[in-house]
Amino acid sequence: MSVSTDRASRGSSTVDAMPRNRRVREGSRGWGLIAMVFLVSLTVYFLLPVYWLVINATKTQSDLVSTNGFWFSRIALWDNLSALFERDNTVFLRWVVNSLLYAGVGAAIGTLLAAMAGYALAKYSFPGREFIFSSILGGVLVPATALALPLFLLFAKVGQTDTMWSVFLPSVVSPFGVYLSRIFAASAVPDEIIEAARLDGADERTIFFSIATRLMSPALVTIFLFQFIAIWNNFLLPRVMLNDARLYPLTYGLFYWQTQISRDPQLQTLVIVGSLVSVIPLIIIFLSLQRFWQAGLSAGAVK
Amino acid sequence: MAASSPTMSSPTEVSAGRREQGRPWLWFLLPFLVPFVLFYVVPIGYAIYQSLFRIQRSGGIFGTSEQVFAGLSQYRDVLADATFRAGVGRVLLFGVIQVPVMLGLALVIALILDSAVARLRKFFRVSFFVPYGIPGVIAALMWAFLYSPQLSPIVDLLNAIGTAPNFLGSGLILWSMANVTTWTYTGYNMLIIYSALQALPQEIYEAGRLDGAGGFRTAWSIKIPLVFPALVLTTVFSIIGTLQLFTEPVVFQAISTNVPSGYTPNMQAYAVAASNNYSFSAALSVVLAVATFVLSFGFLRFTQRRGEAL
Amino acid sequence: MFPAPQTRPRRRWVSILAVAPLMLAAACGSGGSSDGAASASGAASSSGEACAPAGGKVALQFWTWVPGMDEVVAKWNAANPDIQVTVKNTPSGNAGTYQNMFNALKAGTAPDLGQIEYDTLASFRLQKGLRDISGCPGVADAKSDFVGWAWTQSQIGGPGVYAIPQDTGPMALYYRKDIFDANGIAVPTTWEEYAAAGAKLKAKGIFLTHFPQQDANWFDGLLWQAGAKIFDTTGDSVKVSLTDPQAVKVADYWQKMIDDKVVATNLQGFSPDLYKAWNDGKVATWISASWGYSTIRDNAKGSAGKWAVAPMPQWNAGEKKAGNWGGSTTGVFSGSKYPAEAAKFALWLNSDPAALELANAKGGLYPANVAGLELPVLKKGVEFYGGQPVFDVFKEAASNVDTTFQWGPIMTDTNRFLSDGFTKALNGQGTLGESLKAAQTQTVAALKSQGIAVTE
Repeated sequence: MSVSTDRASRGSSTVDAMPRNRRVREGSRGWGLIAMVFLVSLTVYFLLPVYWLVINATKTQSDLVSTNGFWFSRIALWDNLSALFERDNTVFLRWVVNSLLYAGVGAAIGTLLAAMAGYALAKYSFPGREFIFSSILGGVLVPATALALPLFLLFAKVGQTDTMWSVFLPSVVSPFGVYLSRIFAASAVPDEIIEAARLDGADERTIFFSIATRLMSPALVTIFLFQFIAIWNNFLLPRVMLNDARLYPLTYGLFYWQTQISRDPQLQTLVIVGSLVSVIPLIIIFLSLQRFWQAGLSAGAVK
Repeated sequence: MAASSPTMSSPTEVSAGRREQGRPWLWFLLPFLVPFVLFYVVPIGYAIYQSLFRIQRSGGIFGTSEQVFAGLSQYRDVLADATFRAGVGRVLLFGVIQVPVMLGLALVIALILDSAVARLRKFFRVSFFVPYGIPGVIAALMWAFLYSPQLSPIVDLLNAIGTAPNFLGSGLILWSMANVTTWTYTGYNMLIIYSALQALPQEIYEAGRLDGAGGFRTAWSIKIPLVFPALVLTTVFSIIGTLQLFTEPVVFQAISTNVPSGYTPNMQAYAVAASNNYSFSAALSVVLAVATFVLSFGFLRFTQRRGEAL
Repeated sequence: MFPAPQTRPRRRWVSILAVAPLMLAAACGSGGSSDGAASASGAASSSGEACAPAGGKVALQFWTWVPGMDEVVAKWNAANPDIQVTVKNTPSGNAGTYQNMFNALKAGTAPDLGQIEYDTLASFRLQKGLRDISGCPGVADAKSDFVGWAWTQSQIGGPGVYAIPQDTGPMALYYRKDIFDANGIAVPTTWEEYAAAGAKLKAKGIFLTHFPQQDANWFDGLLWQAGAKIFDTTGDSVKVSLTDPQAVKVADYWQKMIDDKVVATNLQGFSPDLYKAWNDGKVATWISASWGYSTIRDNAKGSAGKWAVAPMPQWNAGEKKAGNWGGSTTGVFSGSKYPAEAAKFALWLNSDPAALELANAKGGLYPANVAGLELPVLKKGVEFYGGQPVFDVFKEAASNVDTTFQWGPIMTDTNRFLSDGFTKALNGQGTLGESLKAAQTQTVAALKSQGIAVTE
């Protein structure tokens, strides 16, 4: 991210590890300039709505519709934030905690399950393997709208609708995660290592947990990240399962406020400042994980 | 997707006797399969089962109702439904334009970031990826403000230098949504392609350089063919995402007068289910899933054949 | 490289697969059995079910989206230790809550009570979702306490009573007094004068009003005022007549307004864009319900003191007909174990003066209870409207709403079809008259697909 890192890496060709040292003279200075202009204008495109969000999170409700959306007017960020957290007995804080639980724990368990399944599909041969794999991938094809009612009936059968479990449990399943981890296990965990461990007397569980997971870790970080975002953004499942507003995840809570804006216009400001707050944990997660997960991505794509 | 499995590396040969002992694969698979069966297979099965029924009533309007087996007649109704056909046509049009534009953009960015001309790589990577982390509901909300003829600073600016198009009018609304989708997913796809580029072995470039190939030629004749599988993967996921388009049009309904309830097939499925015609909604979703499968699988077959021809 | 196929793999594999259909059957069973239960209670309710208090301590659940309802219920709970009500605040009905209610009814997990709008009552009865509470203590006697049409609609065309009316939305004309005065326009009393006012405003670059594509129930309110009879559910089959001559008259009138560019066609109802246009004086009127007074007050603050309220324009000079837009009831769901207690609570909630006053203050409810219309707060002048006692207008409107108007049994669908047609009309790809025709055809098809007999 910082400029200095980039300079340092140019100084010494061995330092820069991640964008691998491939600074061949591919383009002239002119092309470099054009490329930079292109990238900078794209940055404007990608960050403009985020900029809008930041600016408008600082405005009062009346300034929101009456002043220029790209510049500050009266700064009411602090008022907005305290209103956000105080509203409905600090329900927003509950939503933040809920989302971190749903997405954090859900993605962690989901990643583990996907890793085990992908590893099994890659490293063991058994009848029906391809059928199981194709069925898992087929799960991606069915629109979530079709699954909402059957899932609800299923949870109602065991009396668990309107509980955190009803949102949490279905979200630990990540077919895409199985796909990625199968491909990555196939390429990153050499058969020879497994055989050698077996000869040393290690059992299958130990091999997986202490050797394979380590080799697969970049892919696991990737799966975790994607799963985290998918659960964080999930909309339909909480909508169908939950009636108790205190169990909502953050994004659905904000949507819930959004539906009440015509009755209570102050919520408009809260939705905007709440959106800004909700984006922050995601950015932190990206930045802290991005070192690890790039390699994982490439595995899924190249093989 | 399923077709990519033949490229898998061969599994470890384990002696038969050893495997008989515990079937370890089963214990690795089960923790995933149990919730998968419960939360995917069973609901899908239920939806398919429901799609074969029809409601019959007796005893007047508010009399008793029962589900009667109706074979595939719901499917016939779905295929004959004008709204459904229009919706499918709309998402196909959307996909034919939006997917290539988005992936083309993602590819170009990835190639630039991978080449020597780019600086501030990390900064750009994060900036381009941020939109993916913003929930669809919130993203559509922000864009709604930026498109709004009354409130948008962009519209104000365009009006100042000429006339701004009506982003939410019937002519442009589909493309305004396409823009939101492009904005959200370009960075994500770019990263997949970029990572594929980063993973390419160094020697390939050395060879290219010895040939005296320039930046463009290296990109065109060496890099792109090598990251072709990544492009295929991103295309398949984009096809699936396009056919299931839902959040953006739903949010846009609140601000534009041009988004009817059956705008996309998924919206129609949702609306029909909401009015208690679950059988029709289920049949519609099954048709949509099959169409998605045919399109993505057909695309895979097409690219594979191309690959063989090369 | 691949190991040779094993000899007995299949069985193990099959055993996994075998689980799926079992669970599938379990899931289907759940749907099936509760359907059965619901229809059994439904059959009983049509003959006027006995309803006696269960006695003892009773806990009830109530789903609602009226802000502040929990405070009203807290009053009840304090005074009724034996009937404790828990409130769940939900998103509004069409934002997903109705569907959740229907799902819960299917699964047998529905609450005891729920907020249901008038136009959706029949859909719930169609799904056997509502308990006939006419036999519960106090319900039959309460009829005269409520605004006539509201009670009739709670009966859904039958002898039973399925809900207690909560609030209503009698319609009137909100207009920018300052703009009308500045342009020398008198307050329109007929639709003809209203259109003429539009023509004058157009010359000044001001829209008369907006045509909200999503608010089909607003258009329903206009049809209601015009005396259109779009549905009849009293017989054994549904009579659908969306192309009733009165309905066509309304559609043609508004189509002309669209053609003449007198009304704004690109402003969605309840959108920030619309609020901005109100604030800036670019849209001068809104034909809306009693609850709309707070919509303008809270969203167009910049125009404080410039609005006024007048009765709805009439089709024939001298008449005093009003339409209604919105309002809700408190329904008792079919699965409730304590219908008598639930009905008792619903009656209190919607007729106790203190409850009504609090619901009005917190949730902006305009009572369906006749005595509630006399609340002190509804007599006072409203500052935002230049001190005009606007509720006098609505009180009069409430008594001028046609009591015989009926909703269809799948009004969510019908309104959706209407809205879809409006999209085309607002784009110049069709007309509002064609929207009515299309909605007629689509409604008939949707009714038939749900096994409901139809006469056209």
